[in-house]
Amino acid sequence: MSAVTATILENEMGARTKPATPDEGSRLGFRLTLPAQILVLFISAFPLLMQLYISVTDWSPLSGAGWWNAWEMWNSFANYTDLAADTRFWSALQRTAIVMLVCVPAEFLLGLALATLFADEFPGKRIFYSILLMPMMVVPAVAGYMFFMLFQSGGPVNDILSRIVGTPVTIAWLSDPNLALIAVMIADIWQWTPLMFLILLAGLVGVPEDQMKAATLLGANAWQRFTTIVLPKMKTIIIIALAIRVIENFKIFDTLYIMTGGGPGVATETISVYIYKVTTQDLIWGYVAAIALAILIVLSIVAVYAMKRMAKAREVPA
Amino acid sequence: MSAIHLQNLVKEFGDFTALKTMDLDIADGEFMALLGPSGCGKSTTMNMIAGMEEPTSGKILFGERDMAGVPMGRRGVGFVFQNYAIFTHMTVRQNLAYGPRMRGAARAEIDRRVGAIAEMLQLAPLLDRKSDRLSVNILQRVAIGRSAIMEPAIFLLDEPLSNVDAAFRAVMRTELKQLQRQFRQTMVYVTHDQLEAMTMADRIAVMDHGVLQQVGTPLEVYNNPANVFVARFIGAPGMNLLKGRPAESDRGLVIDLGPLGVTPPLPDEIAPPVRATRGEVLYGFRPEQVALAERGLSMPVSFVERIGARTIVHLGEGENAVRAVFENDVGLSIGQTAVVAPPASSVRVFDAATGLAVKAG
Amino acid sequence: MADIVFRNVTKRYGATLAVDDASFTVNDNEFFCFFGPPLSGKSTILRLVLGLEVPDQGEILIGGKPVNSVSPAKRNVAMVFQNLALFPHMSARDNVRFPLVERKVAEAEIEKRLADVAAKLHIGHILHKPPAQLSGGERQRVAIARALVRDPAAYLMDDPISALDARLREETRVELKRIQRELGKTLIYVTHDQEEAMSVADRMAILENGRIRQIGAPTEIYDRPASAYVARMLGSPMMNILPSVRGASRIEAAEGAIRINDAKAPAEAIEIGLRPEDLKVRPWSDNGTAEEGSGRPARVFEVEPLGGYTVVTLAAGQARLRALLRGQPDIRPDAMVAISCEPARVHYFGQDGGAL
Repeated sequence: MSAVTATILENEMGARTKPATPDEGSRLGFRLTLPAQILVLFISAFPLLMQLYISVTDWSPLSGAGWWNAWEMWNSFANYTDLAADTRFWSALQRTAIVMLVCVPAEFLLGLALATLFADEFPGKRIFYSILLMPMMVVPAVAGYMFFMLFQSGGPVNDILSRIVGTPVTIAWLSDPNLALIAVMIADIWQWTPLMFLILLAGLVGVPEDQMKAATLLGANAWQRFTTIVLPKMKTIIIIALAIRVIENFKIFDTLYIMTGGGPGVATETISVYIYKVTTQDLIWGYVAAIALAILIVLSIVAVYAMKRMAKAREVPA
Repeated sequence: MSAIHLQNLVKEFGDFTALKTMDLDIADGEFMALLGPSGCGKSTTMNMIAGMEEPTSGKILFGERDMAGVPMGRRGVGFVFQNYAIFTHMTVRQNLAYGPRMRGAARAEIDRRVGAIAEMLQLAPLLDRKSDRLSVNILQRVAIGRSAIMEPAIFLLDEPLSNVDAAFRAVMRTELKQLQRQFRQTMVYVTHDQLEAMTMADRIAVMDHGVLQQVGTPLEVYNNPANVFVARFIGAPGMNLLKGRPAESDRGLVIDLGPLGVTPPLPDEIAPPVRATRGEVLYGFRPEQVALAERGLSMPVSFVERIGARTIVHLGEGENAVRAVFENDVGLSIGQTAVVAPPASSVRVFDAATGLAVKAG
Repeated sequence: MADIVFRNVTKRYGATLAVDDASFTVNDNEFFCFFGPPLSGKSTILRLVLGLEVPDQGEILIGGKPVNSVSPAKRNVAMVFQNLALFPHMSARDNVRFPLVERKVAEAEIEKRLADVAAKLHIGHILHKPPAQLSGGERQRVAIARALVRDPAAYLMDDPISALDARLREETRVELKRIQRELGKTLIYVTHDQEEAMSVADRMAILENGRIRQIGAPTEIYDRPASAYVARMLGSPMMNILPSVRGASRIEAAEGAIRINDAKAPAEAIEIGLRPEDLKVRPWSDNGTAEEGSGRPARVFEVEPLGGYTVVTLAAGQARLRALLRGQPDIRPDAMVAISCEPARVHYFGQDGGAL
């Protein structure tokens, strides 16, 4: 117990009148938090229900009717059947998956390597630490412009490559359908590796030092210590870090949209970009609602899985 | 082969000297306790033996072999941590198998060795338990088993009983001692509890402020403490020490204790060296050896503690306080005056200036 | 008057009975100890006295007044926490003043009480220091001063010196007792250290799983334990408790190594208890006839020298006994010895573990 607890105790002893029995206490607690609970429920449930409602109609802001009258345009599940046949949707989904499958593991491995490095002391650690965290602080839109400029055919990236190779390099990073996605992924990795690093470092310093020493004394080398002690102890935090990045990466938008606008053509059109375009250009909001709901379901499955694993991991505290 | 020799061992952390020139020889198969208050350098010494820390200067030899530059994984020492450092994400079996597995032993070989060690430590029924919710004595056995399976020649234990509650400590002490008998390895045991050191160790190295004070069997350090620190640290309660000056009397050399009067004459063996010390001395005797007498030190009883089998009587106050341990039927109470005298043979005299024991002959 | 009375107090946490039908009276000016293993209900009793918990059943009276529905702040009892909980950023003086400043007591009054408490606890010379610069014992006294400055009717301490090292604990417990005597206040003290409990308590209560097993002066409980459980709780080494067999004129235990010629021994006894210090151990003489009062030979299993005493563990068949001998007797492992004990010193326990 700390001084803080003592203060709390003192305050409690001074302020509280009649302590309630456990039953009374929980009932009272429920009554007191009820307004807040209703508010939270409303905030989170209302948009969802509204979306569900619109997703089974042909409603559009251009239809002239308020959204609450969307039932007049009821189309049963046509939006969903259209979605199943929408090749642009499926290829956007595929592209999103590719970005995720490249970026998240890359960010994880880089973050883990950096965290391992930073778990030990070395000169200038604090400065490197600050520099390393900077990309995370950059507004994604600004990062988008930065990389937009970096990857111009006359931009610094090509310039550096030219100097290395010796002959002028004029790669059209952002207008080549094959390279644009790579450029976008590099930007994402640049921006989000620091977050991964930060979370993993927190987990790494939490690995009990005595157990590491014990493993060393029992003859484990650095790699063995890493696989048998560090990784198992960090399981929970790794799952959290991956879950955060998977969900975030799935929604990749601002950097990408500024760099390529989803193009050339649809070469970098991810789910978010696709939804944005359908929303702002095609204005078929009933359809948009259906897409959004479908994606929400996918992401929820990921989140639930992650949380289940976390609960399981917590049964065995480090 | 598994004897340990520390030669001129020094450890400094920046400006702070944790260990000042330590020389200690620990025999093969010996149970040596490093005893002292926190910050005395005992853990630093142990960590250097294990290879977790490099000595600033001096040598550590295992048998003939110089350990300088040998990394901790290759020293062949078993180490039991204060909190046992059990791998909590593994089962008991995985903990025990850890060492051989890391050394790449064959599956069948690992199973055989884990089986044997589990049998020996009575862990067989617990092998597939997760090790994060085991009781503390099981944890201790797992920690010992995990090291013992590597058959180390040397076992190092870092205050393994300090997290155990008092009532259970006696059980754990007995268990540890029996394990040492089974394994017959050299054991170095770090503790701040003199009782643990006394009851378990073959020899005790008493340390304070980075300096080795005395090495000896438990009874040697108890009966003939080398200096005032050891005299006070060993024993419960520690030795009584009263300040005074040597004085001649018609019955022989006595110590003039000022307000407390003079002591009975000193025994013949220590009278000449005491006479030779100039200045103040400390007159020391064990609380357990105090007896009520006709003549002796007359002191008021300031407090009486009856603790089970013993009664501790506090006599006098401040600088002139004395504690005496009696049987329960002593019949002294607060306010009474007791006349006490230690038997001549149990008196120890220390030089007040240096703190060192004045030795006979 | 600050006597504290519990009448049939019960406290549950969910399905666990933390305190089970506890009734006791702590007299005014008494040093009263609660002693028991972890989770036996000691700390819950303190929290009930403080008012941090409300009993499910029963009644608590402080100074003759029922306090079940009185708030902690109005109970006028003060608490010294296990880890002392001194504020590290404040000087000792500010720590002691804290409860009074919080209660908006007038400055002159604060200074008067501070001086008073400081004098009683001999801390006047260290008041300017922050806790980090104080020794364990000094911190202890500052924490007590902080509890006392409110002038409570009674004060409570939850294992306040367990963090100190052994040597300092021995000194501090004597000091605590002196302070309590001089202050003349009721003190309820919780500890898990039996030596400490026996040293300081005027009376003590021994707890097991939320139930009070025995209340009495430490010597009374030590000499006449009400049950085998209580007998094991006090005394180091622990009392030897052995299954016993009744013969024609004597009781036997430890496969005949112990023979007690006690005609008055209760017939229902199934176990006997022997304090280690009551056992007499002599070398076995091989002439075949055992000495008066001793049985068959036992083997010395282990010898632990403590300096002033020696603990000898004896093996007789499967039974293990511990004897506490004075001084440094010349006994070695594997020697054969005869054990005896005065009949008047033997404790008898019945089927339910109760003393007979």
